[in-house]
Amino acid sequence: MSTYTYTFTSRPRVLPCQRRRYRDSLVQPAEEPTPYANIMYDRRVIRGNTYAVYQEPPRGQLSDTDVQRHRRTQKRALSKKRTQEQLRPWTPEPVEGRKHVDVQTELYLEEIADRVIEVDMECQTDAFLDRPPTPLFIPAKTGRDVATEILEGELFDFDLEVRPMLEVLVGKTIEQALLEVMEEEELANLRAGQNAYEELRNVELAEVQRLEEQEKRHRQEKERRKQQQWEVVHKHKQTAEKIAARAFAVRYLSDLLPSVFGSLRDGGYFFDPIERDIELGFLPWLMKEVEKTVEHGIVGRTVLDMLIREVVERRLTMYERKDGKLPPVKPKGRPSGPAARRNPPMGHEFQDQRPLPNPDPLRRTDTVSSRERMLREEEDELTELRSSSRSGAWEA
Amino acid sequence: MAHTWISMYQPPNIDPTQAAIAYGCRALPKLNEELQSEDLLTRQKALMALCDLMHDPEHIYVAIGTGCLESLRVLLKDTNPLVRIKATEVLSIMAAHNVGRQGFLEHDIIAALSFLLNDSQIACRMNTHLAFKHLAQLPSGALGIVNSGLIPSLVLQLHTEHESIQEILLDTLASCLLEDANEALASRAVPFLKEMLLSHNNNIRTKAAATLTAVSIPLEGKRQVWQYDVIPILVHLLRDLVEEVQANAAGALMYATVTTEGKYAALDAEAIRPLLNLLSSGLTKARLNAIKALTMLAEAPEGRKFLQAHVPIFRSLELDHSEAVRRAAQVAIKVIEWKP
Repeated sequence: MSTYTYTFTSRPRVLPCQRRRYRDSLVQPAEEPTPYANIMYDRRVIRGNTYAVYQEPPRGQLSDTDVQRHRRTQKRALSKKRTQEQLRPWTPEPVEGRKHVDVQTELYLEEIADRVIEVDMECQTDAFLDRPPTPLFIPAKTGRDVATEILEGELFDFDLEVRPMLEVLVGKTIEQALLEVMEEEELANLRAGQNAYEELRNVELAEVQRLEEQEKRHRQEKERRKQQQWEVVHKHKQTAEKIAARAFAVRYLSDLLPSVFGSLRDGGYFFDPIERDIELGFLPWLMKEVEKTVEHGIVGRTVLDMLIREVVERRLTMYERKDGKLPPVKPKGRPSGPAARRNPPMGHEFQDQRPLPNPDPLRRTDTVSSRERMLREEEDELTELRSSSRSGAWEA
Repeated sequence: MAHTWISMYQPPNIDPTQAAIAYGCRALPKLNEELQSEDLLTRQKALMALCDLMHDPEHIYVAIGTGCLESLRVLLKDTNPLVRIKATEVLSIMAAHNVGRQGFLEHDIIAALSFLLNDSQIACRMNTHLAFKHLAQLPSGALGIVNSGLIPSLVLQLHTEHESIQEILLDTLASCLLEDANEALASRAVPFLKEMLLSHNNNIRTKAAATLTAVSIPLEGKRQVWQYDVIPILVHLLRDLVEEVQANAAGALMYATVTTEGKYAALDAEAIRPLLNLLSSGLTKARLNAIKALTMLAEAPEGRKFLQAHVPIFRSLELDHSEAVRRAAQVAIKVIEWKP
């Protein structure tokens, strides 16, 4: 529960006026500055004695009696005004037959007409002229003229004053110039040092190159000499080898010739032509002839063998037939017959043949004739054999 | 308002052509930002300020650290000639210091600079060539230039460029040839150099002879020098009025006569007499080179025969005050008196 009395404070502020300045426009301008009321004419402000003053009924609590009273006073005021108006005197109404007319009674008559006198007037502006230059504005002289006389040397001494300025100017310039000159000097010194070094370096470099070149030349020369020397030695060696080879070859081939000849001779390449001819021509022929003759002999002997065999067999069969199955008297005759028969003809042949191998060309005709005889005999035997074979069979 | 007192404080140094340089370590980052600005005047003023600052190597180091090289690379393609001239000037100053050269190689500035070789402004071209010349002093820089394939275009420009630029070009080429001479030899450097040997300008003759010295160090160069008949011209230059030219010509001969054909070409061109005259020259370099050239010629039998009569001169040179000359004289005497 609060025990303090209710207080309300607010800052003093100007009250806006409720009166509208203009007619209600269709669009209510909201941005119009709010008009402020004059408190001298504000009805809410009490002026003067406030004792028993009319107190406006508080808003919102207007009672019926108050409203009626308000209306009555208004009506009364209105009726009062009307009565006052009625009591005002004016001119009476005109009598019958008369008409009141307004008449001018001034000295000078005026024509009063409804129609207003109209006069047409025209107006034209002049052609535009160029704007003339504005005259020099010389303001009016104001104030008072005051003059001061300055004599020579009074105000300030130029030479003295200018000294610090000059000092600064010259000083800065010289400072900068000194800096630049020192820089150049430094550079020149550096350059001189560099040049000296460069000279030395050039000289050293030239020396190095010269030595290099010299070295190269010497080396090349050495190489060349070495090459030459090597070639000489090589040639020398080759010549020595050639000589040795030649000597060896000569010696090797020295007994080549006799050996060659010997081997050729051994190979039979050197021959006596007559001997050769005899060997080549005569002897083969001779051998052939000999061979032929021997062959003939053999053939003859073979034929003879066959003859003898045939004869013996025939005789045997003849004897066997004759005997008429006699016991074989001559059994040994048969197996040994051919052998025995062979031997004697062999001896026979030898005897016959002994004169034959005599390589005597003069005896050729004899052998031929003997051979012919044998051949003839052989032929006879063969025919006989054939006939016998036809009749009887071999029992060999 | 002006007082009548003289102030103890120095008045501020306001140079209207330069951008204001910030204090301390903010100087270079701020200049870097100004280099990238859209306004032409800001860029030009920043470039002028940068030019002055870059003479100090410490500033160069800081500048490369803050990435000024990237902004400079963009500015190299600018349309305004003053911007290009100043940018190339800055780069040439940076290239004179080792830190700058290292930065060049890391950020691949060579490629960006190579586009400016044909620029319309002669000052721009001169600065570009100066930058290349300084870069070529460093062996890795020379290698970078060779690797980027610039040598053929540089050799071509030898002919067409202005004389002062030709001198710078010859220096650049001499340093690059020491690294790798193949490309230069392939793009006909030797005939160009031969023509330049006969120019009227003393400096050009000197530098052309020095470049020829570098050319004749590798074997291919020696061969080309002999092939294009440069040796008679070199012998002729031995009698030149300028001592530097004589010295450099003797140096070129010294290298060219290492090969046998070079030796005989020099002997045919009667090189021994002028070289003997050079032995009494004032320049140490001239004496050194002459002694070396005579040593080369003494390797050939004809040269040895001729020089045997002049051994006393070499003996007197053995008492020279330069160590190198003494050594060279001893070597020469040894070669002359060598019996196979």
